Amino acid sequence: MSGLEALLAALTPLNLLLALAGVVAGAAIGAIPGLTATMAVAVLVPFTFGMPPAPALILMGAIYTGAIYGGAYSAILLNTPGTPSAIATTLDGYPMARRGDGDLAMTLACLASVVGGLIGALALLTLAPPLSRVALAFGPVEYFWLAIFGLSLISALSEGSLLKGLAGGAFGLLVSCIGVAEVSADVRLTFGSQTLVGGINVVAALIGMFCIPVLIDLVATPGRHLNVVAEPRGFRLAEAVRVLIQKKFNLIRSSVVGTVVGILPGAGGSVAGIVAYSEARRTARPGEQYGKGEPGGIIASESANNATVGGGFIPTLVLGIPGTPPDAVILGALLVQGLRTGPSLFTDHGDIVYTFIWGLLIATILMLPIGLLLGRYAYKSIITLPKALLVPSVAFMTMIGTYAIRNSVSDVVIMIVLGVIGWVLGRFGFAAAPIVLGLILGPIAEQGFVQAWTIGSAQGDLAGMFFGRPISMAIIAFTIFSLASPILMRRWKLKAEAAHVE
Amino acid sequence: MSNDSGTTPASDAGAAIVAALLVIFGAAAVWDTYSYFDFDSAVFPRTVAAVLILLALGVLVRWLFQRAGYVSVSPAEAAENGGSWPRRIALVIVMLAAALAMPWLGFLITAIISFGVLLVIAMHDPWTPGRIVVYPIVGLAIVVGFYFLFAKLLMVPLPAGRWFV
Amino acid sequence: MTRGRRFTLGLAAIATAALTATAVAYPTKSVDYIIPFGPGGESDITARLQQPFFNEKFGQDLVVSYKPGGGGAVGWAELNKHTGDGHTIMGVNLPHIVLQPAQKNVGYTTEDLTVVYWFHFTPDAIVVKADSPYKTLQDLLDDAKKNPGKVTFSGSGKGTANHLAQVRFDKMAGIKTTYVAFAGTGPSNTALLGGQTTAAWGYTTSAAALGDQARILAVAMEERHPKYPDVPTFKELGFDLVSGAYRGIAVPKSTPEDIRKKLSEMIGQINADPEFQKKMLDGGFAMLDVPYEKNAEFMKARSTEFIEAAKEGGILK
Repeated sequence: MSGLEALLAALTPLNLLLALAGVVAGAAIGAIPGLTATMAVAVLVPFTFGMPPAPALILMGAIYTGAIYGGAYSAILLNTPGTPSAIATTLDGYPMARRGDGDLAMTLACLASVVGGLIGALALLTLAPPLSRVALAFGPVEYFWLAIFGLSLISALSEGSLLKGLAGGAFGLLVSCIGVAEVSADVRLTFGSQTLVGGINVVAALIGMFCIPVLIDLVATPGRHLNVVAEPRGFRLAEAVRVLIQKKFNLIRSSVVGTVVGILPGAGGSVAGIVAYSEARRTARPGEQYGKGEPGGIIASESANNATVGGGFIPTLVLGIPGTPPDAVILGALLVQGLRTGPSLFTDHGDIVYTFIWGLLIATILMLPIGLLLGRYAYKSIITLPKALLVPSVAFMTMIGTYAIRNSVSDVVIMIVLGVIGWVLGRFGFAAAPIVLGLILGPIAEQGFVQAWTIGSAQGDLAGMFFGRPISMAIIAFTIFSLASPILMRRWKLKAEAAHVE
Repeated sequence: MSNDSGTTPASDAGAAIVAALLVIFGAAAVWDTYSYFDFDSAVFPRTVAAVLILLALGVLVRWLFQRAGYVSVSPAEAAENGGSWPRRIALVIVMLAAALAMPWLGFLITAIISFGVLLVIAMHDPWTPGRIVVYPIVGLAIVVGFYFLFAKLLMVPLPAGRWFV
Repeated sequence: MTRGRRFTLGLAAIATAALTATAVAYPTKSVDYIIPFGPGGESDITARLQQPFFNEKFGQDLVVSYKPGGGGAVGWAELNKHTGDGHTIMGVNLPHIVLQPAQKNVGYTTEDLTVVYWFHFTPDAIVVKADSPYKTLQDLLDDAKKNPGKVTFSGSGKGTANHLAQVRFDKMAGIKTTYVAFAGTGPSNTALLGGQTTAAWGYTTSAAALGDQARILAVAMEERHPKYPDVPTFKELGFDLVSGAYRGIAVPKSTPEDIRKKLSEMIGQINADPEFQKKMLDGGFAMLDVPYEKNAEFMKARSTEFIEAAKEGGILK
């Protein structure tokens, strides 16, 4: 069942074609800011009704993984994550592109995505049932501490002023409360505005705060957008592979992080990328300059976010609980097909499941040549397009992309307003990344906190709830360690240097 | 921010203003929390707003004690910090106007007009005869291409102008 | 609603549809079906189930799009801005459209929404993990009475059908339990399976999604659900609790009367299709037929019910 038969079934011309088409379509959709992986999958769902379940799953899986990968394109070339999962890719991808290493960045993103996706899919193939327990072990408290850990990344991101970064993060947390509260159905912080009842959409905020400031400065100066070295250097594939091997520990660790975060229901590619990047940054070797165009940053973010694809399917298929937002859509499609998810899925429909997993693996492998080609094409278009055309095109794309999120013109207006705010804040040393971090992690932190509080109070053991559970304690320890280690490292280094001098 | 050659006087007064605005926002948020039905919904915003106010005050205090001094700025950044203000403002205004006009004029018309205007705003090089022909055509192709992708392929209901329906 | 009554109503709907089918030229192009939530939820799934039947019976496409925000409020506030020619329809949910405007200013009032059909509901149910010590509802009641406040229920949000059910049942049974709100049925199910809470107030659909991993202790229906013949109803156990989340379809106010009626019949036809019914029941949904003519009295009854329950539960002041 799980072996040769399923693999052969996945290699039929139809399934291969679907995998190919899915990856191409997914990468194209993911590259456009405003179009998320969830949307890409949701658009496809009606087409899958006429198909038998295994090809339908392969198509959806291929689009999903392609979209998560495609988000890196605009992250690297336009400083705008094409999907939220590529947030951490902008931090080092865009600086690399600015200084002329955009081609290397694109190739690295492709390779890292493929490796991450393979590791996630392999975990799905071999360890799905035991790993699904991880999904259940994480309760509200763990999510709360995980969000806090994610927020501690702000300390690592704040090059200039830690205070400003933290203030930005707090601002983002507060802004995430605008609209109807998930925990209580109260309408908050709208100050009477009808437009804000829907809340600030994360994707619109991402586009606004990352892309608009770039546009505003682009339009003001006559210079080139990205530096380009005179002689064309091809894919720089050999160079990229060398870098990858050099940073293999980062690569593997980030992929594992991505798989685990994908397994956690409710946490998707964005959280995975952020956590992986944070860890990579914390364990940076001397000479690695994170935030200024360090290849390790792209490796960490892209491998982690693609690993969430395979990881997210674990609870989806084993427990019937979506691991990431696109999985919820896929579950819905399966339900319409009449496929019941849960432990019985592997026993009753094992052939479908394993054909699908092999198909996902194949789609991920196909992403390598396709991604390199598409990436090259995207890179070429962005650098050859004259600035006078680039600015209106990007402006137009951000507007149509933001509109498409929720079919809402208000979102577009909010996006532009946030963009101006982001540009102003950026001028005065308040970076966009901590704010967006707060915006994304706010709901996770709040819901985790309120739920844990409610349960803990009901059981009469609040302290035990928040500090007594093994996984939470591990996360807390990690957070403290990651906050303290830069300070400790510096002190170590100073001592070592002082010893040298003597 | 990399620190290379070149220096400009740093007063960071802008950051102080931002910090003051953040304090005001935090205070407004706390005030808002008193109108909630459910206590659960007030806990988080209140805590976060308090933290925000403290941190923003921290930025303000630091500014007060750090008046003098220079901050080094790389030449690339200096060039960026300059640039044409009118174009910047025009960009934002055109985008906002387009967003607000979309429900009335319909998506396609607004897009084409705003694209054209932005093209002019973003043009720093001289308008050669070749460019006058080619650029608008390419621009039109881009707009129409995306329109088809979104409206027909992805089935996104783009706004149809209320003035024309 | 008893099966007999449902059958007659269905028959009447088909008859009326057949009689008036040629009277109105509608639909003449594809119909936009706006779901005021994100994809993957119950509203989305039932819309997807309706899609192929709509296409087959009426020859036009049903195009599903999403407009999430504010728990549905963003979509409903904008309903009347769409053109009222019947080619734009929107999903509606109870108790949301009754409770939301009553609680605060969300941009629409219940009367603003013109509902043409209520086509299914998801009955409330108490769900526990398969290995839970509670084997019957009585077990849970005993535990709750001995340890007031310690029995925790996960549910899909505050002010939702789940929450209201917990509030009403607590009052009916004279117990005190704690409700923990999660951001939707998915997270609520996860919490249940992970043992974060002792039980869950969910729907028959959530139990269906969890399969063998969960058990239903009781359902809030008039009669037992066909998919779960062994599960008693609250009524049988002595508690008059029949409730759930109701879902239907609404049109902009400007839609003319004859198109409203035609659309109502069309939805009724889909509802009467035995294949459609089978798919819905398999998914754990419960059928319901409240066509356009019966909407006013249905809404009135439900509104009173929900608002009373909300006031009792402290959700409304």
